[in-house]
Amino acid sequence: MVNFTVEEIRGLMDNPKNIRNMSVIAHVDHGKSTLTDSLVQRAGIISAKNAGSARFTDTRADEQERGVTIKSTAISLYAHLEDEEDLKDIPIPTEKNEFLVNLIDSPGHVDFSSEVTAALRVTDGALVVVDTIEGVCVQTETVLRQALGERIKPVLVINKVDRALLELQLGKEDLYQNFSRAIESVNVVIATYFDKVLGDVQVYPEKGTVAFGSGLHGWAFTIRQFAVKYAKKFGVDKNKMMERLWGDSFFNPKTKKWTKSSDDGVERAFNQFCLEPIFKIFDVVMKGKKEAAHGLLEKLDIKLVGEEKELEGKPLLKVVMRKFLPAADALLEMMVIHLPSPVTAQKYRVETLYEGPQDDASAIGIRDCDPKGPLMVYVSKMVPTSDKGRFYAFGRVFSGTAKSGIKVRIQGPNYQPGKKDDMFLKSIQRTILMMGRYTDPIEDVPAGNILGLVGIDQFLLKSGTLTTDETAHNMKVMKFSVSPVVQRSVEVKNANDLPKLVEGLKRLSKSDPCVLTYITESGEHVVAGAGELHLEICLKDLEEDHAGIPLRISDPVVQYRESVEGESSMTALSKSPNKHNRIYLTAAPLSEEVSKDIESGKIGPRDDFKARARILADEHGWDVTDARKIWCFGPDTNGANLLVDQTKAVQYLNEIKDSVVSGFQWATKEGPVAEEPMRSVRFNIMDVTLHADAIHRGGGQIIPTARRVLYAATLLANPGLLEPVFLVEIQVPENAMGGIYGVLTRRRGHVFEENQRLGTPLFSVKAYLPVNESFGFNADLRAATSGQAFPTMVFDHWQILQGGSVLDKTSMTGKIVETMRIRKGLKPDVPGYENYYDKL
Amino acid sequence: MEASGAPVLSTPAEHIFEAPVAVTEAGSTLSDEQLYVQYEIRRTVEEIRGGKWKRIALQFPDDMLVDAPRVAENLKKDLKKEKKKTEAANKDATVEGVTASVAKVGIEEEQEVDVARQGEVSRENEEEHMTILGDTSYGACCVDEVAAEHCSAEVVVHYGRSCLSPTARLPVIYVFTTKPLDLDVAVSTFKTTYPDLEEKVVLMADIPFQHHVSELQRKLKDEGYANVFETSILHNPSSPLPNRTVPEEVQSNPEALKDFSVFHISDPPSSLLLTLSSRVSRVHIFPTGNAASARALQTNTSAALRRRYALLTKVATAPIIGILINTLSVKNYMTALQHCQDIIAAAGKKSYTFVVGKLNAAKIANFSEVEGWVVIGCWESSLIESSDFYRPIVTPFELEMAMTDDKERVWGGEWVSDFGALLARDTKKKIEVDGDGSAAIEGEAQAEKEGDDPYADASSDDEPPEFDLRTGKYVSHSRPMGRAKKTSKPATESTAASQPAAAPKPSSSLVQRAKGDIASINGALSPGAEYLRSKRTWQGLGSDYTVEYERDENGKIRGAAMEEGRAGVARGYAVANEKEG
Repeated sequence: MVNFTVEEIRGLMDNPKNIRNMSVIAHVDHGKSTLTDSLVQRAGIISAKNAGSARFTDTRADEQERGVTIKSTAISLYAHLEDEEDLKDIPIPTEKNEFLVNLIDSPGHVDFSSEVTAALRVTDGALVVVDTIEGVCVQTETVLRQALGERIKPVLVINKVDRALLELQLGKEDLYQNFSRAIESVNVVIATYFDKVLGDVQVYPEKGTVAFGSGLHGWAFTIRQFAVKYAKKFGVDKNKMMERLWGDSFFNPKTKKWTKSSDDGVERAFNQFCLEPIFKIFDVVMKGKKEAAHGLLEKLDIKLVGEEKELEGKPLLKVVMRKFLPAADALLEMMVIHLPSPVTAQKYRVETLYEGPQDDASAIGIRDCDPKGPLMVYVSKMVPTSDKGRFYAFGRVFSGTAKSGIKVRIQGPNYQPGKKDDMFLKSIQRTILMMGRYTDPIEDVPAGNILGLVGIDQFLLKSGTLTTDETAHNMKVMKFSVSPVVQRSVEVKNANDLPKLVEGLKRLSKSDPCVLTYITESGEHVVAGAGELHLEICLKDLEEDHAGIPLRISDPVVQYRESVEGESSMTALSKSPNKHNRIYLTAAPLSEEVSKDIESGKIGPRDDFKARARILADEHGWDVTDARKIWCFGPDTNGANLLVDQTKAVQYLNEIKDSVVSGFQWATKEGPVAEEPMRSVRFNIMDVTLHADAIHRGGGQIIPTARRVLYAATLLANPGLLEPVFLVEIQVPENAMGGIYGVLTRRRGHVFEENQRLGTPLFSVKAYLPVNESFGFNADLRAATSGQAFPTMVFDHWQILQGGSVLDKTSMTGKIVETMRIRKGLKPDVPGYENYYDKL
Repeated sequence: MEASGAPVLSTPAEHIFEAPVAVTEAGSTLSDEQLYVQYEIRRTVEEIRGGKWKRIALQFPDDMLVDAPRVAENLKKDLKKEKKKTEAANKDATVEGVTASVAKVGIEEEQEVDVARQGEVSRENEEEHMTILGDTSYGACCVDEVAAEHCSAEVVVHYGRSCLSPTARLPVIYVFTTKPLDLDVAVSTFKTTYPDLEEKVVLMADIPFQHHVSELQRKLKDEGYANVFETSILHNPSSPLPNRTVPEEVQSNPEALKDFSVFHISDPPSSLLLTLSSRVSRVHIFPTGNAASARALQTNTSAALRRRYALLTKVATAPIIGILINTLSVKNYMTALQHCQDIIAAAGKKSYTFVVGKLNAAKIANFSEVEGWVVIGCWESSLIESSDFYRPIVTPFELEMAMTDDKERVWGGEWVSDFGALLARDTKKKIEVDGDGSAAIEGEAQAEKEGDDPYADASSDDEPPEFDLRTGKYVSHSRPMGRAKKTSKPATESTAASQPAAAPKPSSSLVQRAKGDIASINGALSPGAEYLRSKRTWQGLGSDYTVEYERDENGKIRGAAMEEGRAGVARGYAVANEKEG
């Protein structure tokens, strides 16, 4: 039975100091959902027997089927510390021994990284799960980096220790080494993304921020737990004991002395005190007789009840270990003690959360986690309801109190204070508590809590800010580590189903933080996702759920970007239709770092121009005056192309700025080569001559001219196509390495890193693989390595498509361009610059 | 026609002030006989004589203008000849020689004929007055009634290919200027295209080739094709085969047309292709250009239709739509305009009406607040397929589609080019609805009341944003004028009386509304003004929106003394009296 009620939880919500918002993050298959189960089980939601196999937080049928989490799922749990004394160990102010843990289980597969981002935004702490055997993998690193970027404090669980014992039969010292390697690699990542404000958040077993355990078997321990046990026995301080139980610390049982080195073959303290009991239990239960086992159990004060007594082997082991070292205890203790409460976290997170000035009412409300402040809610994703087509807005109250009935300002991601775009007034219908697959209505939700909102889903596509303060700026828009680079077009089989498809696409777009659905210039409905698996799931949802109609689905294709490889060979010039205005302009490549900064939001159109110029000048070597005269970003006013005004003393220039910007948005959205969006191009307006009379330099004259001159400059600057490239990490045993290379070479991939995982026969190979070549890569790889290689692919960067100029029809790129143009119903030849260039 | 690479947005610098006319042959090259045949001078003369028209406008497309003077000369000459003949005949027979050969297109009313008869004798002697007209302001295919009226013409002779749209004011004589066709090649191509002798085929041809159709059909019959239907010209763009007669079985049941294939001689205009795509089973085009191959190409319009779909979805979320009047001659264009305005208003969007003459990119781009355009023109010219335009341009039919709710829009079959047909369709629909009576409306209201989703509530809530299918993002304020159901509600007396202050008071000054509201001018919502206020960074010297005058202490506007400004043409202005460089 559920051992807490909604009322109890509601009571806890009022005390933000006793709240822990945390997400569980890890590489795929490292056991997040399984581990989460142990916590859910503790809350009484599922039975102890099922814990570890129920995967309670995998709410969708296909998640259960595939055994992979697709959506992040939130659940609220009640927790308290066994020992009141432990409260003192909590470094932050705490009031009573009752805690509300809001936990979000996130997917581990790279394709669903956006779900992780959405989860991280609303939490303050992260439980990082690492597989003992596989160690830190690419996705562990990605999510950890994201967590740190959001200023989220990590704690670590080393999972699947049972496998290390049962399958690999590791010795104690080997296991210790394994542990410390995993911890070290995690700390390397954390140190790389060190943030001064957040401070040192590396994990240390001796401080209790690392747990070891097995989600499947439902047990885990921290050094702290053992330290508490042994502290009494040795009569030393618990904290001192903790330090002794990890690292190069040895205890000689004969001399009863602690030493720093392993003299006379003395065992490491960790091995001796922590691992030994576990090894013993494993040994006795798995190999020994039932009687021996029961003897041991009595010694450990573990009582078996009913049919449990009849168990043998693994099931018995599971029961025993769960009773000996319950995972929930270890994890809850670790989370409660070491993760920050919203009150603590929001103090340092407010800078990264809030776009507006740090001293306005909203910022102060967030900083103080003030339930009486102006309401600030960030909606990070939409969760489908049982009512088809409607969604719960899932988010967190950062300030104020959300309750049903109050009228809020809903600010979409494009909202700018003072403007009215993307801003709506609407009253909240209901607030609810998200409990995995269930929801419970709740009257109001004060600051610091995670909640679901009913009735505002029509106003936000994926995410947004809710506030009651008219002057409030937006909460920062989330930036995802993945981009929707793989796309497939869908078509209805029966024309009358079109409205259903359209409706389905809208819903699909809402239900996933990353997926993109749109109609191309040539009239195809396109669904774009982060990877093949992501797309597959999305399309399945679309076909079976959102649209519910049979669809024809095309093969996956990638989206290219148009760019330039050099500077314009001469200044491009175009004249307006009436010949009275001239624009002179050049194109040049934008450095990859700048483009990446723009895409990651570090440099953005809404930044203060002086601050932006500073970054560009200091970090990217721009000329400050140029950097201050960026007219706009494009396409969509935020893409990675820049228009820079380098003119000197041009009269009326400010009048035509709007028109030039419009032309720029138009041109960068559909480049000259194949009408693909442009990327990473910097356009410099060199000079402009304008007619003295305003009527002769209106939009009609300037917009088409700006577009033409941008095209001409691009075509003069050695245009090229950019293709998206995946970073592939492959785990593979040595004997199957050969196969990998073959497959990669055939697919234009190249390996840039290869190293062996210490202590395992596994190699980890990192390679770049063009997305275009990645379709069917998994199957190919499996065939070539007889199923022994496991790749993870995540979008990494854009790369110039090699193989000749796009203008040369005989080259490989030329052919790609030609087929693209034909597909779009354009003339097969790329137009020459002369089409856009006017002679003086 | 399609998105070509290079938009020709400018002419070379050297002819800035010359009209950008396509270079035609230096002079008329046709021999007199050819001229006589091609321009159907005999028939024209007969019809003019028959109609007793004295003031005649000759409208030529650009590429035929070279022949225009000779055609006019010949017409005059022949008319004179004819006149002499009839005079001679009149002397013989004193019959009131009004022949029965009334012009086919003559729409003169009986009365006028009577009047004509009275003044017949005097008018008979009057010499015909010819005026040569160039293209219309919109397209060569349409009859330029307005220009003809300017020279007070009584009849227009239209040369070249025509869209045959019905005209409203003047009778028209169409001269299609026939072109030659190699019938043998056509027959053999037909045979390779349709190996099955039983195949149901409709023979169509572009207008200059139409006269070959019957001969071709005869030849094909000899070859053993039994089910080949020969079309003839009909002045009805909303016919199932636009401007052509249809097989008998189709007249009663337009669905039957689906069994037919179309064999089309010469390239049809793309609007015809799109129209046909949903109505017949296949369309084959027999090319007639200089590279006339012996293969008829089967057309594939699905790509073109999809592109139109992309365009119209762009229009669907545009808050402001411009209506371009691209014809002044097609009948019903005012009704069509009203229709477009109505559906745009019903969708809660703002429409502005423009008359710009021939479309080009510069004209369209001049109105950057307008995010979508609809062209009211003849059925051929309202389909504009070019990617050079800054904003999407659609036909009235597509506009209707775009304004349809996403939940109802079906695309992929029917495509209607002629707004006449569109209007007819709508009235039919309306009648159907009216037939159901008020019960349906009531039921609807009921459904709205209770059936609406349980989440909707307070009417003071904002309108939710709309999903822009083209970009996959939400757009706010795509319906600046409010949803139809809100605007259509007539303000009842009581509400007006209870809150008189709330009613917008029309005043000459501009009113600053609360933040977030849309700008209004003289009490009317103005999305255009809103665009100026919120989207433009350059708002001119002194905004139109917030007029601020310098005032003296009495609050009177303090004006500056008038000065003489610039004058002249754009090429070089004169300031006051001195010449500006």
